[in-house]
Parts: sequence; C-alpha cells; structure tokens
Amino acid sequence: MTGQVDKSRRDFLKAAAVAASTSAVSFVAVSRDELKKMLVPVNLSDFIAEAAEAGSPLERRAREREARLKEWCRAEADKICSSMGEDSDACREARKRCAMIKVKGTGPREGVRFAMALDVNKCIGCRRCAYACVMENNQGRNLGIEWIKVLEMPREEMEVIYANMDYTEAPKPNMVYVPVACMHCEDPPCTMVCPVRATWKEPDGIVVVDYDRCIGCRYCMTACPYGARRFNWAKPYVPVTELNPNMHILGNVPRQVHVVEKCTWCIQRTRDGGVPACVEVCPVGARVFGDLNDPDSPIRRVIEEYGAFVLKPEAGTRPRFFYFFGPKRTPPREPGAEAKE
Amino acid sequence: MSSQGSSFIDTIKFVIKEALLTGGPRYYLAALGLLIIALYGMYLWIFVQHAPIFLGAEEGGLILTALNDSVPWGIYISFFVFWVGVAAAGIVFGIAAYVFGDKEFKKVAVLGEVQAVAAIVTVLLLIVVDIGRPLRALVLMPQLPNLRSMLDWDFIVLTGYLALNLIGMLVTVHYYRQDKPIPRKFIVPFITIAAPFAIGIHTVTAFISQALTARPIWNSPLLAPRYVATAFASGPAILLLALYLAERYIKGFKVDFSVYRKTLYVIVGSLVVGLYFTLSEVHEIFWYTTEPAKKAQAQTLFLGYHLPYLAKLMWLWIGLGIAAVILGIVPRVHNTKRGIIFVSILTIIAVVAEKTMTIIIPGFIPSTLGEVKPYYPTAIEIGITIGVHAIGVLVYLLLARPALKAVMTHYFSGSGAKH
Repeated sequence: MTGQVDKSRRDFLKAAAVAASTSAVSFVAVSRDELKKMLVPVNLSDFIAEAAEAGSPLERRAREREARLKEWCRAEADKICSSMGEDSDACREARKRCAMIKVKGTGPREGVRFAMALDVNKCIGCRRCAYACVMENNQGRNLGIEWIKVLEMPREEMEVIYANMDYTEAPKPNMVYVPVACMHCEDPPCTMVCPVRATWKEPDGIVVVDYDRCIGCRYCMTACPYGARRFNWAKPYVPVTELNPNMHILGNVPRQVHVVEKCTWCIQRTRDGGVPACVEVCPVGARVFGDLNDPDSPIRRVIEEYGAFVLKPEAGTRPRFFYFFGPKRTPPREPGAEAKE
Repeated sequence: MSSQGSSFIDTIKFVIKEALLTGGPRYYLAALGLLIIALYGMYLWIFVQHAPIFLGAEEGGLILTALNDSVPWGIYISFFVFWVGVAAAGIVFGIAAYVFGDKEFKKVAVLGEVQAVAAIVTVLLLIVVDIGRPLRALVLMPQLPNLRSMLDWDFIVLTGYLALNLIGMLVTVHYYRQDKPIPRKFIVPFITIAAPFAIGIHTVTAFISQALTARPIWNSPLLAPRYVATAFASGPAILLLALYLAERYIKGFKVDFSVYRKTLYVIVGSLVVGLYFTLSEVHEIFWYTTEPAKKAQAQTLFLGYHLPYLAKLMWLWIGLGIAAVILGIVPRVHNTKRGIIFVSILTIIAVVAEKTMTIIIPGFIPSTLGEVKPYYPTAIEIGITIGVHAIGVLVYLLLARPALKAVMTHYFSGSGAKH
C-alpha cells in the first residue's frame, strides 16, 4: 500500500514539474510585453478615476492613446494628401486636425452632480442634437451609430412602446418629440451587470465605458431600459477631416471594434466647464444642462419652476435626465390644431 | 486487470489511448466528420467574427451576423440556454445511482457525467463565439470579477461544474477499470456538491435574464423553475438516446429496461411541470398584464406578430410536449424500448423549440423603445453554431467510449458484480 502512495506522489511531482516547465516555456514563447500589458494588476482606484492629477493611470493611458492616435491620424492624412495633393483643402484640414489631437483624462470635479432636462413643449423634433452628437463624439460613420434617438409620441399618451422614431416630417401639431439618450441613472442597471467592470458611474453622475476593458458581451445593452447603448458591430470609421480633436479617454476617442459605447454628456466638454454639444446646438433651446448641487444652476430653476418627470419611472433606475412641459412651444402651432385642443 | 497500473496518470493515459487509438473505421470516420464540421465552424468564426481582432483586417466583425442593437443576443445565447439545461440534467443518473442506490443506474451514471462535460464545453464555446472580445474575457473575467453581475456567477458555476464532472468521470473510470467499486468517501461528498450545483447552473443562467427591468417578458419569477423543469425533461431524454446508441454500437454493453422506464418517469413528470408553468405564464400575460411592453412581447411570442417563426416554435413546444406526455403514459408505448426512445425524441424537439429562440428573442422584440427589428439568424451564424455543436458531440464521443469500457470491465466481465 505504501508503495502505491509513493508511486502516486511521484506521479504528482512529475506532473507538477511538467506543468511548471510548460507554463514557463509558454510564458516566454508568447510575447512577454503583450503578456505584461494584459496581466497588469488592476485596482479599483484606477476606475473611480478621481485622480485628475497628472500621473494617474487614466492620464497615462490617455497620453499613450494620444500618441497612437496621432500616428494613425498622420498616416491617414498622408494618404489623403498623396491622393488629393498637398494644397487641397482636405489635406490641410486633415493635417490641422491631426496636430490638434488632445486626449484628456480629466477627473470629476468635487461636489458636482450633472443633470439634464428637456422642454417637451419646445422640442420640434429636428434631430439636430443627434447630428451634433455624431460629429462631436466621433461616432463611426459606417455603422450609423447615433447616441440620441428622437421618439415621436402622441400628445395624449406618452408611452414609449407606441413611439415612432422613423418619422420624416416634424413638427406635427398633435405630437410631442422626446429625444432619448443615456439617462445617466442614479442606479444604473447597466453598470451592475457588466461582468468585468468596464462601465461605472463617476462621482459627478456620468456613466462611462472603458473601451479598453469592454469584452463585448452586450449584457449592458440587454439591461438598459432606455436602449441607450450602442455596439460597434464592425470597425468604426471616422474620416480624419471630420475628426473632433478634443477627446477624453472615457468619452469620444475613436472606438475599437466590438465594444459598447454610449452618451457621456460630452465628458470632454462638461468636465472643463462647458455644456454638451446637443445643448449648444439645439435651435429652440429645449435642453437645459447643469449641476444639481448648485442652487443657481438652470436645471434647479427648471425643476423647481415647472416640475419635471422621467421616462419609465417604473424601471426604478432614477434617471437624471428630466423632461418638463415648459411655457410655450417656440414655433407657433397651427391655429387649427390649437383650436381643436 | 488491476495489474494495469493504478495511478491517476495511468487513468488519463488510458482515457486518451482509448479515445484516440482504439476503434473501428466507423468510429474514426465519425470523429473525422465531426472534426471537419468543427474546423469549418471555427474557420467561419475566425474569418467572419474576429477578423478585425485576430487578423487586423478592416472588414469582418459581428456585423455579418443578423444581430443588431435592437436584438443584441441571438442564436448563440439561445442554444447556450438549452445546453446548460442538458448539462444540469446529466446528474439525474448520478442521483438515481448514488443517492437512491439503484444498481442498474450505477452502470450508466458515468454517461451522465460525460454528457455534462460535453454540454458545458458546448456552452462555454457558445459564449466565446458570441462575445466580441474573447481574449479580453479570458483575462479580465477571473482577474476582476464583478460579483454583482450574473454573468460572472454563471462563469464561476459553469467552470466549477465542468471541473466537478471531469473529476467525477475520471475517478469513476479510475476505479472501474481496475474492477473496484467507487469508494464512498469520494462519491458521497461528490454527489452532495454536484446535485445542487446542477440545479445551480441552470438557475443562475435563468437569473441572467430574469431580473432585467428592461425586458418585461423575462420579469417572471417562474423563469428559473421553468428552465429547470424543462431541463430535466431534455437532459435525460438525450441520455436515453445516447444509451440506446451505445447499446447498439458497443459490443456486450447491455442496459436494463428499468433504466429506460424510470428515466421516462422523470421526463414525463418534468414535461408536465414545464407545461404547467407555461400555462401559468400564458394566464398571467393574457388575462392580467397591464404593461404594454410585456403585452407586445407576448404577442410576438404567442401570436407571431413581427416574427411568425417564434409563435410556431412556441406552439410546437406546447403541442409536442402534450403529445410526449400522453404517449409516455400509454402502457403500449412505455413498455417498449422503441416507444420510450420515440417519446425521448419528441421531448428533445419540444424542449429545443421551447428553450432556444422562444426564451431569448421575445425579450428584444419589440425593443425597449418600441423598435421592431425581426431577427432571422443568418447562414453564417447557423454554421458557427453547428460547428460548436460538432465540437460538443466530438467531446461526447471521445469520452463516452473509455468511460463505458471501464464500466464494462467492472460490471459485465471480470469478477462480476461486487457492488
């Protein structure tokens, strides 16, 4: 019996030696730099990203990404210039944008809680916000990705399931237009279900996606009650002449293939004190953006003055994107329609 | 026989040798055919789905499938759900053999473990072909698990169950091929862990979708029990089919009729429970629900709005399920082996109809914003799915023969039944 035990122990030791040497060999055989990059230990503080100071992991990654992007951009620009000539507008535009590329890793400011509101009475359904969003956030032009979807709903019943997003004519008198994008919920179900913590809620209320961690399982898309997330089903293509050079590592850097992306309230603008592109571009001023914690911010005034509501409150996610019925529609309604109501 | 060497390494060597080096031309032909299908599926997958990642190509990507932002999960996840159930039911023979001490089931319990291994391999491969960044998933999932995510729990229990069943199978082979009974010290803790695990993998898989507020038709507390109930119909049915084939193609391997009969009890009972759960859901949806999204999704599922094949599958499940139950309780059918196999085949078709597309797709049509994008799987997706299944069947084939050979050493020849 003891001979048996010794034999199995010897076998076990042999197996251990073989396994150790195999793993050692494979460790060296696989490119070691690649392996080191993949196996870098991750700690949570990297993701909370309150580290705005230079030298934070996010900053470091932003700088690396900037160098890579510049390289890619120059190569693309060279292609354009060699085909269209050095003096052409496209070439000059491309070179200018390449030189301007800046990838930031700005962290959230303390005590800020962003929120947005939209005046349903004002919105005319022109979809300019959606176009501005595409341009500002470098969305893949070949995939038709739009973070903002505008729903046309009957005035009587604002139920999402009866909405129409393929309308061709707007505004119509009996309809309201409800742009829907990421609601940046207080309790986002999408961040909870992510198996690898590639998406999380920042302290200033912006829900972000880390494109370098996303594994493309699309669970967050399944969990989102507002259909706010988009997946890059193929390699997204952004023409260099239309590239927005003002980028944030968690926001609008050109995306990779097979990762999920979403609205970040233009993190590259708002973290520096600006407003999102959709707010800036809205021709009727239907959108309001601000800091919920600041008593003087326009968002607080709107909520207190008019009262606001959210879409799908029954989902229990407490969205920080509010809708309200403001004083008046900017373009006057047709007189007939007014009388009917 | 016991002079053959008795360490675990020898057992592993035995399994590999038996799997690869023995067998007639028919066996090699079958294995080769499966391998070719599997390789073709893999080729499709690398070429189509991951060309941009693996080969640095500009074209390719999941865009070549019919999946879109409205229906992000399709045929891969559908069959994932089905095979998790089959894996979970692999333990049924084990429970009958080691908990209730049925001697006839002891002869075939190892086949349940082999089936669980093959099914879990299929399941894991289906996830790998579905996700966009498989390499990242392999590195990131264990490194930083987010235990609030059901997908991580699923990953943990699936790999755990795979390891458990591999160990169970190897230990069984180890002892049986030396003509020794399995020691109680091993089998009691093993079955104590494995049985709840089997229910657990399917429950966790159901929990992935069950609590998503965004998809009202999945918001049913019956979803997980329904998964488990129909799993315990389809898993044993596939086991019976495998037993029947083993009896036919392995010389000297005989299974007692009581095994077939008792397994049929499990199948019919589970089918009744599954059908009852379906009835309960129908009642809730069509008599009571006030949620427009849930109603719209239920109409897609049961009445075939937007997507006719979904309703056909659903009614196939109800019709074939009832037929299998009625046939299963008719004495003339359940007193013959052929009758029982026929009921098993009906059950498998019914549960495939119920567990695959009709679980996953209605959650997405209409989508959360009322968008309707009908989903029909493309040829490429179907090809990749078939390739993955070929790998699963290949694993089944490779592992089942050594396992059954070991069982035959213990029970059918040599020193006879000691146990």
